[in-house]
Amino acid sequence: MNAKGRGAASSLRVNRLHKEETAVSLNAYFRRYWQLYALLVLPLAYFIIFKYGPMYGIQIAFKDFNFFQGIMGSEWIGLEAFKEVFGMRDFYLTLRNTLMLNFLDLLVSFPAPLILAIMLYEMRTLWFKKLSQTILYIPHFISWVIIGGIVYQVFGTQSGMINNLITSMGFEAIPFLTDKNDWLITYLLVGMWQSAGWGTIIYLAALTGINKELFEAAGIDGAGRFKRIWHITLPGLKSTIVVLLIINLGHMISIGFERPYVIGNLAVREYSDVLSTFVYRIGLQSGQYTLATVVGLFQAVVGLVFVLGANYASKKLTDESIL
Amino acid sequence: MREKTANRVFDTANFIVLLVCTLICLAPFLHITAISLSSAGPILSGKVSLLPVDFNMEAYSKVFSDSSMIRSLGFTVLLTSLFTVLCMLMTIAIGYPLSKKKLKGRKAFMFIVVITMFFSGGIIPEYILVRNLNLLDSIWALVLPGLINPFYLIILISFFNNIPESLEESAEIDGSSHFRTLLSIMLPLSLPVITTLSLFYAVGRWNGFTDTLMYITSPELYPLQLKLYQLIQNNMITDLLQMEGAQMATVVPESLKAASVIFATVPILIVYPWLQRYFVSGVMLGAVKG
Amino acid sequence: MISMMRKRGASQTKKAALVLLACSLLFTACSSNSKPEASSGTNAGTSKERVTLKIEVFDRGNSPAGSTITDNYLTKFVQQNFGDPNNIDVEFVPVPRSEEVEKLNVLMASGSNVPDIVFTYDPNTFNRYATQGGLTDVGPLLDEHAPNLKAFLGDDVLGYGQFQGTQFAVPAIRSIVGKYASFIRQDWLDKLSMPVPQTTEELYNVLKAFKEKDPSGTGGQVIPLGMTIASAQYEPLIWSFIKPTTEEQKYTLMQQLGSNDYPTLLPGFKEGLQFMNKLYNEGLMSKDFGLDKDKKKLGEDVSNGKIGFFSEDDINPFYDKGSYDVLQQNVPGALLASVDVYTNEEGKHAKPMYAPNGLYIMIPKSSERSVEAIKYLEWMATGDNLFKMQNGVEGENYTMVDDIPVTVENQTEEAKNRLYNSGDMAIISNGKQLGSMEKNLKARELQMPKKFQDQVAAAQKVANSDVIPPVLMDRPIEAQTKYATTLLDKFNEMIVKTTMSKPEQFESIYETMLKDYMASGGQAILDERTAVYKEMLAK
Repeated sequence: MNAKGRGAASSLRVNRLHKEETAVSLNAYFRRYWQLYALLVLPLAYFIIFKYGPMYGIQIAFKDFNFFQGIMGSEWIGLEAFKEVFGMRDFYLTLRNTLMLNFLDLLVSFPAPLILAIMLYEMRTLWFKKLSQTILYIPHFISWVIIGGIVYQVFGTQSGMINNLITSMGFEAIPFLTDKNDWLITYLLVGMWQSAGWGTIIYLAALTGINKELFEAAGIDGAGRFKRIWHITLPGLKSTIVVLLIINLGHMISIGFERPYVIGNLAVREYSDVLSTFVYRIGLQSGQYTLATVVGLFQAVVGLVFVLGANYASKKLTDESIL
Repeated sequence: MREKTANRVFDTANFIVLLVCTLICLAPFLHITAISLSSAGPILSGKVSLLPVDFNMEAYSKVFSDSSMIRSLGFTVLLTSLFTVLCMLMTIAIGYPLSKKKLKGRKAFMFIVVITMFFSGGIIPEYILVRNLNLLDSIWALVLPGLINPFYLIILISFFNNIPESLEESAEIDGSSHFRTLLSIMLPLSLPVITTLSLFYAVGRWNGFTDTLMYITSPELYPLQLKLYQLIQNNMITDLLQMEGAQMATVVPESLKAASVIFATVPILIVYPWLQRYFVSGVMLGAVKG
Repeated sequence: MISMMRKRGASQTKKAALVLLACSLLFTACSSNSKPEASSGTNAGTSKERVTLKIEVFDRGNSPAGSTITDNYLTKFVQQNFGDPNNIDVEFVPVPRSEEVEKLNVLMASGSNVPDIVFTYDPNTFNRYATQGGLTDVGPLLDEHAPNLKAFLGDDVLGYGQFQGTQFAVPAIRSIVGKYASFIRQDWLDKLSMPVPQTTEELYNVLKAFKEKDPSGTGGQVIPLGMTIASAQYEPLIWSFIKPTTEEQKYTLMQQLGSNDYPTLLPGFKEGLQFMNKLYNEGLMSKDFGLDKDKKKLGEDVSNGKIGFFSEDDINPFYDKGSYDVLQQNVPGALLASVDVYTNEEGKHAKPMYAPNGLYIMIPKSSERSVEAIKYLEWMATGDNLFKMQNGVEGENYTMVDDIPVTVENQTEEAKNRLYNSGDMAIISNGKQLGSMEKNLKARELQMPKKFQDQVAAAQKVANSDVIPPVLMDRPIEAQTKYATTLLDKFNEMIVKTTMSKPEQFESIYETMLKDYMASGGQAILDERTAVYKEMLAK
């Protein structure tokens, strides 16, 4: 009993001591770090107002949205809209195509800027390096509508430039745009062409952080160019690559509207119809905001799961993460 | 000796491949330029490829004599500069604290940011918000809603993380405040990424116009890309225009469209070459830190 | 220098941003609760204080220097002639033409800045707004305030604005309803000494001759039949294969997608596709037609003298610097004749026409200015107001020749700029309205380049003969509102895929595509239309 009481008292004392300690350390912590929290105030206010403020709009997914009743006034319908979307044949087709195109893009368009950036970095002729850097990113500035017209002129079956060349050499014209498998290649190439130059910029920025002395040391060791790229340049880019990869994986299920819409056509709709064009059809064109919101919500949840998964995996594998 | 030959082979191959890539990227731009300098007949019959046919500058004289285009250019420059500066201030302000692994609540804050990469309220509540803030039809409607791009923020944080902690710690031991550390160590060392992200923000704003369609009604506040969009879209959307029938608006000549594209693209294109020098200075600082 | 300016700007803007953000915190609380302002009782008409009438206007971004879409000759004309005498401030609310429906939706849903007069070309949008109860019943208002407007539009046109018996919209009247004509290279026919084909059968032989004998001299690049996936090219062909239909078939099997009727389920549609498939596989038709949505390639090929025959909107080839004009520059001696060839079982050149209405003009229920809104439309239909809005100033913009306003050549810049937006301002009529179809057609003909006017007249005649009027149901078909966009895509996909398939695969591809079409809403439309038709019979 006595012993027990003493024990309790001492543990109480220890507790109190501990509390005081944490209070002191918290105090010290804030005295040391208040500036960091001060910096956070405005940006967090921004996120709360402009990003979280409108999020009540997500409830449209669970409502029979009526333009004149507004979001709050519309009637609740529970999961009915989800049932409708998940029952649509086009939903699964476009979901499949979205994942397929994004996955192929990840294989083709993701490494392209990295390779291009390394090539630029290794370029010895300085004037050409600067010039090509500037020209390579021009395609990013040409709007998709215009690219669409150009793609048609270049890849058309009957009078496209490439097919003119092919037929003039006596071969059969290749339906780059109207055969679905050929179209996939066209889609990927055009996407790569449009984004690769622009994508190099971030890698080039990262490359400036690499210590030049390492190269010199490698030069003395007599390491070849490829070895140097492999052992010095790529490791220097590792964290940037990983961050971009994680974000890319998070966006596997979302896809821009314009590229598939502009390059796609009716003959290859089986492949070119994606979630964004699907949402455009049912949402903006047919005014079914509820269904469009359902698809958006589905994409958001899956995207978040993907990014968290990728982040977790990357933390385990490479010790790099974005969270 | 063998190394040298190997090096030369590498350099030559590198040069040739890059040259081909460069030419492929340049071609469409040349094509648009050629169209802007050609006359209607050859354009309509598809005879213009990389060089102008039946050369004339009519389209450009039209673009440059259109005072609304010039004014729009001025407004776009103002809008883009304002947007870029504010975006960078905000992005750095949140990026620096979130790059501190020791910061309590960091994970929660990051989560708040990442959520917004995927979830959004949609076009209607966003419109209502902008209206309630009294921002409709003002430059702020085009600036405030897009201040922080989570994707760019994450890139910035990852670059901050790559700066050796020892540098910051030594500054902190010296009694430097966090503000000072940020300004005198972190920012100078991150010049390349800051330049890059500024470019991203600037180009995004310059090329974006969908928000303008919703928020802006006064012609004085039309950015160039909106004017361009209207010019190009006008006779593109045949499905929509079908019902108009006899009422079709007058057709805009292709050369005028092309000239407007050039007019609206070149100013932002030359920003990057101008910014490239910050990449070089970044290299020097990078050497210092090592 | 620049960077210095930026820095200074930045500190100021940062302050401004701070203030704004602080303010915005106060506002967000209410943002989520805001509902469209409820319509309070109409007090219009009783008080005589000056009121504001807000009217939507399409913005195409084509305002000439010195004008804006909200301040130009016509807006001033409206203010002076309608606004001021009635003590009304007329305010125009611009809506981007290409985002018309989207922006309107947002305005409606946010309940703010909704104009008192809105309009759309999209019947689905009209139906949706009516279904959701957002529109004012304009029937009584028309009876009370708008005798001239009612007479001007006529019962037929007004019928298009009814939704389950209630007049929820004022449809604009269309001045010209003919759509399509076909065109053939007369000089090629002469070269081959062949007569102008009169039937589809004869056309097929001519197309074959064009291909085999190559009168174009382009060295095998000839495209006998110019085709695209825009309706102007394929509709005349396909509709000529549609078999004579009973009244019941017409009402139940038709599929109205958007503003047009589509014959997906009508007997003969399949034969039409089969014919296209045959032409395609024999190399008689544009290979990439499935890519040519905006007819750009067609225009290119026509003006390069590669195409022998094609269908198009009646006056489209004849514009100044249009495809015929350029064709004559590129190929001296080229002649394009307007012809009517595709023939159906009954020997008629059947082809669709426009519905007699244009825009759906609507007054939102929340509007407190519905009376003024109707008065505005009435004003436009009264006297020569519409005429002035469409034709401008006599002597400067037009001169009267035989009762028809003829556009003055070499107008001053000022005169030209007067009417740049007249089509979008004179909302009650689509196209110039001169009192009779004959005059309307003549006026349009006279607008075209002189050297082509004969062919324009011929094309317009073709476009207006043997036309198939759209089918008007007693009440709107909900499934059509819902599935139209998707089905329109599927319909076009069906044409492209079946046409481009190998002949032996035609059957199976057609079956698969039709199945998909039916499952994606086609069946729902069929069912609903059948039900409505039964109701109509029961009456």
